[in-house]
Amino acid sequence: MVTEASAEPLESTSRFRLSFTAVFGILLVGLVLFWLAVNFYKTPADFIQIFLIGFTLGALYALIALGYTLVYGILELINFAHGDVFMLGGMMAVTVVGTTLFDLTQGEAWYVLWPLIIAALLICMGFCGLLNVTVELIAYRRLRHAPRLAPLITAIGASFILQNIGLAWKGPNYVQTADVLPAGNVFSIGGVEYTWEKLIVLLVTTPVLIILVWLVQRTRQGKAMRATAQDRDAAAMMGINVNRTISFTFLIAGALAGVAGLLYALYAGSVRFDQGFQLGLIAFTAAVLGGIGNLPGAVLGALLIGLIQAFNEGLSWHSPGSDWTQSMVFGILIIILVLRPEGLLGERTPEGG
Amino acid sequence: MRRGIIVGGIVAAAVLALIAAGCGGSSKSSSSTSGGGSGGGGNATALPASSCQDLYFEGSGKPDYIVPSDLPLQGSGRTQTIEMTNAIRFVLKQANFKAGKYTVGYQSCDDSTAQAGKWESSKCSANANAYAQNKSVIGVIGTFNSGCAEIEIPILNRAPDGPLGMVSPANTYVGLTHSGPGTAAGEPDKYYPNGERNYIRMVAADDFQGAADAQFMKDQGAKSVFILNDKEAYGLGVATDTKNSATKLGLKVAGFTAWDPKASSYEAVATKIKQSGADWIYLGGLICENGAKLVSDLKAGVPNAKLMAPDGFSDFTANGPAAAGMFITVAGVPPEKLTGKGADFIKAFGDQIGKKPNPYSAYAAQSMQVVLDAIEKSDGTRSSVTDNLLKTDVTDGILGTFSINENGDTTRNPVTVYQQVGSGKSGTGKTFKVEIPSASLVKAA
Amino acid sequence: MARSRDRDTAALQDRGLRMGIGAALLLLALFAQAGFRSLDVAAIPFLAVIALIYVPPWETVPYVGRFARAGIAITIAALYPFVWDKLFTVPVFGSFPSIPTGVVMLVFIQMAVGLNIVVGYAGLLDLGYVAFYAMGAYVAAWFASVQFSQKNVHFLAVGVGSNTPGFHISIWILLVVAGITTAFVGVLIGLPTLRLRGDYLAIVTLGFGEILPQIARNGDNLFGFNLTNGPNGITPIDSPGFFGVNYLTGSGTFWSSARLFYWTGLLLLLITIFCSVRLRDSRLGRAWIAIREDETAAAAMGVPLMRTKTWAYATGAFFGGVAGAYYASFKSATFPGDFFFNISVFILCMIILGGMGNIWGVIMGGAFLAYLDQEGLADSGGWFNSHFSQAGFNRLIGFLLIAGLFAVVILAKDVAWRAGLAVICGVLAVLFFALNPVQLPLEVPKFEFGIFGIILLVVMLFRPEGLIPSTRRAAEFHEGVHDQPLYDVVHE
Repeated sequence: MVTEASAEPLESTSRFRLSFTAVFGILLVGLVLFWLAVNFYKTPADFIQIFLIGFTLGALYALIALGYTLVYGILELINFAHGDVFMLGGMMAVTVVGTTLFDLTQGEAWYVLWPLIIAALLICMGFCGLLNVTVELIAYRRLRHAPRLAPLITAIGASFILQNIGLAWKGPNYVQTADVLPAGNVFSIGGVEYTWEKLIVLLVTTPVLIILVWLVQRTRQGKAMRATAQDRDAAAMMGINVNRTISFTFLIAGALAGVAGLLYALYAGSVRFDQGFQLGLIAFTAAVLGGIGNLPGAVLGALLIGLIQAFNEGLSWHSPGSDWTQSMVFGILIIILVLRPEGLLGERTPEGG
Repeated sequence: MRRGIIVGGIVAAAVLALIAAGCGGSSKSSSSTSGGGSGGGGNATALPASSCQDLYFEGSGKPDYIVPSDLPLQGSGRTQTIEMTNAIRFVLKQANFKAGKYTVGYQSCDDSTAQAGKWESSKCSANANAYAQNKSVIGVIGTFNSGCAEIEIPILNRAPDGPLGMVSPANTYVGLTHSGPGTAAGEPDKYYPNGERNYIRMVAADDFQGAADAQFMKDQGAKSVFILNDKEAYGLGVATDTKNSATKLGLKVAGFTAWDPKASSYEAVATKIKQSGADWIYLGGLICENGAKLVSDLKAGVPNAKLMAPDGFSDFTANGPAAAGMFITVAGVPPEKLTGKGADFIKAFGDQIGKKPNPYSAYAAQSMQVVLDAIEKSDGTRSSVTDNLLKTDVTDGILGTFSINENGDTTRNPVTVYQQVGSGKSGTGKTFKVEIPSASLVKAA
Repeated sequence: MARSRDRDTAALQDRGLRMGIGAALLLLALFAQAGFRSLDVAAIPFLAVIALIYVPPWETVPYVGRFARAGIAITIAALYPFVWDKLFTVPVFGSFPSIPTGVVMLVFIQMAVGLNIVVGYAGLLDLGYVAFYAMGAYVAAWFASVQFSQKNVHFLAVGVGSNTPGFHISIWILLVVAGITTAFVGVLIGLPTLRLRGDYLAIVTLGFGEILPQIARNGDNLFGFNLTNGPNGITPIDSPGFFGVNYLTGSGTFWSSARLFYWTGLLLLLITIFCSVRLRDSRLGRAWIAIREDETAAAAMGVPLMRTKTWAYATGAFFGGVAGAYYASFKSATFPGDFFFNISVFILCMIILGGMGNIWGVIMGGAFLAYLDQEGLADSGGWFNSHFSQAGFNRLIGFLLIAGLFAVVILAKDVAWRAGLAVICGVLAVLFFALNPVQLPLEVPKFEFGIFGIILLVVMLFRPEGLIPSTRRAAEFHEGVHDQPLYDVVHE
């Protein structure tokens, strides 16, 4: 009723906003494309190399962004603690893969390496999933009906607690993982080198995404998730156990963060307690860029952000440089939230119309 | 009501448990001033426990004066800095806590925080104010990071009862003592608001290190160098100095850009460097700004380039798994090349801690020795100690024979180039060469 | 008549009882601290003074009643520098905070009062308050240091040599200038957020809070111009002064540097509190309450939404800027590394712990948390390490975990809670007894932000209106508000 009453002024302002947004957006995108084209013309091999680097980074961010988007879709809550769950997953991966548990080193035989990495993957997924569920139980469940301010603040509180656990666990310095992934190139064409590490990241990420989509679209639990995201009360009336569905969503989101943590520890190789917050914000930007609540949107947004980061740091013609990477990511976040809050791919899929 | 009582009961029980466990457990009486009875000694008031550890003094009563050290005791450099505090204690104990007719105690103060893992400006400022306001403090050893010194020197300069002197074992930023092409406008005078100098350092400034590094790279046959920095005070300074020296020597600078410590991967930067065709890469910055990851990615992305870094990477055990083979310079003499009193110190202190001391420990020890000498010759006031510090003239000390010029710089400025051997916990540096760059090159840095 | 007298007596008895219990607990703790042997009589006058403020019904005194408590509190705060080291030894924490710590506490309380206007009064969750702090600090730095050494402008600066290059404007003027500039920046930051709902607003402000410090760090080469001197920061910054007395050197032992900064800080805080109280009771303040509780209804009643929200940002930013400028002058330096997200949350934590929307709650929360941050954690860590052996510590943790398990069983309302907490207690118990993960000596300051996180969590879960609540806010939290912003763009 309120929206109907204010439909008139909204229409006129939204029309005005739409044209302003469209012009601004087109100008910005055009500028970026021009810059990319010039760089590609100047150094094509490097451009493709950097593209591949950014794509891999984007795949990592996609795993984290999906966690944000799943939780936001169902609870309309920005789970600040999600990035720190990812960071703890990374630390667990470092512990497990390194000297504490499996003691893997460079050059292990593939029949030793891969089963252990899969075991590590399951451990990290389980750990992060349980951690995420516990965070939800403690920090968010009780505040289901409180003003929106409250769970946001507890999310920050949970984030700080998890960061401190990371600090106490591994100390304030960057912790290195041993290089266990096979080194060397998959192919090397005309100056463009594609290492095994990057391929492995994609090989792990893609099936995870496919399984996730299958889970959300084809299973009963997935249907329950979509229903709860659309309308919590109606779902409860239909006999869906809302609490259990929400816990399940957090479990899945946590598992995704666990996968991301392991991949990050193996690929990027150094973990620190405050990285979770940083990367969490980048992943959140990616989720918002693609359209929060929208699964393909999160992946698209993450790939874009990964590419933007890589292009910014790697290209040499008039690139702002790594000084400005963070500002650019936050700038994108602000521009998207202000001008087009529904993101690139539009309305949230779980909500439907 | 019932829940309230239960909650209250549990809280009260927990509090009582805390007190009970505390009283029952071992209670070493921690007092921030040493125990000891009446009589003798001075009446120094120790610095607060929130920044500083306990007073180290093994005489009777309290000492006349306190010399604190202001170092970052948390974070990646902590093995180095904690060893430095032990070296200072070693020297003080050897001098029997006496400087002439005065007795001196020592407190180790921290200018870093656990979360940041490195120095923090509010802590530096608070510490400097504490030193200035505490009448027992007569000289300060510190700091380790040049940014912290930029805050503390002006505060100590305007301390009551004359400027309070500071001796740094490790600051290398040029602008703290003299100006040059790499310094900002107004330096160094802006750090000495009342016009008198109160700061000396035991190490060569970054213009020496930058010049030596550029000279070394040129001598090793470098054709072009890509210079990275970590966007912090020290890193940007030493990278700028190296860039200026390289330009003066005719060594081509293929690029000058920063690395983002919070980035997940430096492969894109490596690609950029590869594209520029540089055959040497210079990493101007600190290892704790994700330096180990940077080194790994650069090694992987630009395998034919040689890596070089200044003393921000001087902790060989912390440089990460890919650091073997890289060159690291330290503005100082390697411990094994010290002679005379220096060699004696290295041996005795090394025996005490059970391993080879790291280069900075000798510098910390010399700093304490210089402070003690200055106090001995003084009349017990801060300004006379500061004057004496600026007139320091050491013959056959721990660092050899040198003196301090009117800027507060040392006259002996060797720069040692190490090559990293091994990595991780077993990483060490093999001394490669000792460079002493020409004066004209240093002026251009 | 009789009923109101009964109510007054009841309130008096209530306060008296609480005071009595508090005093008894403190004396017990002091007794225990002295090994159950002697009692520190210095605590008695202290308790008497607290009782004097708290217990008597000052508000009934005609004409001055309303100001009596505040007046006594201010007098005590002003006299603090004379007595701080003569008070008793606080159990666990050791000494009372020193005067320089007091100055930092006052600065942070001022920032908390400023943020309270945005978050507490107007209900806009601002996670980027550190941007205002940074802006204020840099404005003070630009006009009171040698940063712009191309010019040489001196104006009423005290204690600066006349041929020192750069701008050297009097700090008193700069405090106002910094406030106004920061208010302007606050409006700029607020403008994009006006139509966003709570969580998006928080994120956008967070984004600005990260962008501004990065501009400060990269500011040494903005198209060739050195604006902020980059990572080297701007140092030294002039100190305030008047009548030829420069604050950094002070003048003698009575007007020592620390005391001068402290009293001036107290004065600034009082001005901020006064402004905040007047704003709260003004038409603008009531507009803020209205939009906080129900934007749609407020708009329907004619409250100009955009303008009201913008005013909230502007005033909050103003006080943040003043506090930032004063702090920069006190530290006599400003570095880009000083400004990071955790500070915004730290200030938010003060408000939440103390009582969102209630000035006295915010002051209490701010004072306590700022003290913890500066001295309290280090001091309590020292006490802890000297009183506990490794075995004693493990025993304590074991006891607490068992107590926690009982609490879970008795108190937790639903199975999920019991399950979650039982899992945590169980896992922690295993960790502690099997792996001995916490080695003494414990560095308590390392856990600072974990402790603040726990405070945020516990307060929001069990008492979201804070320790000293405003009744209105308490009602809002417990009964709920109509949270939908008017221009919610997602629901079309």
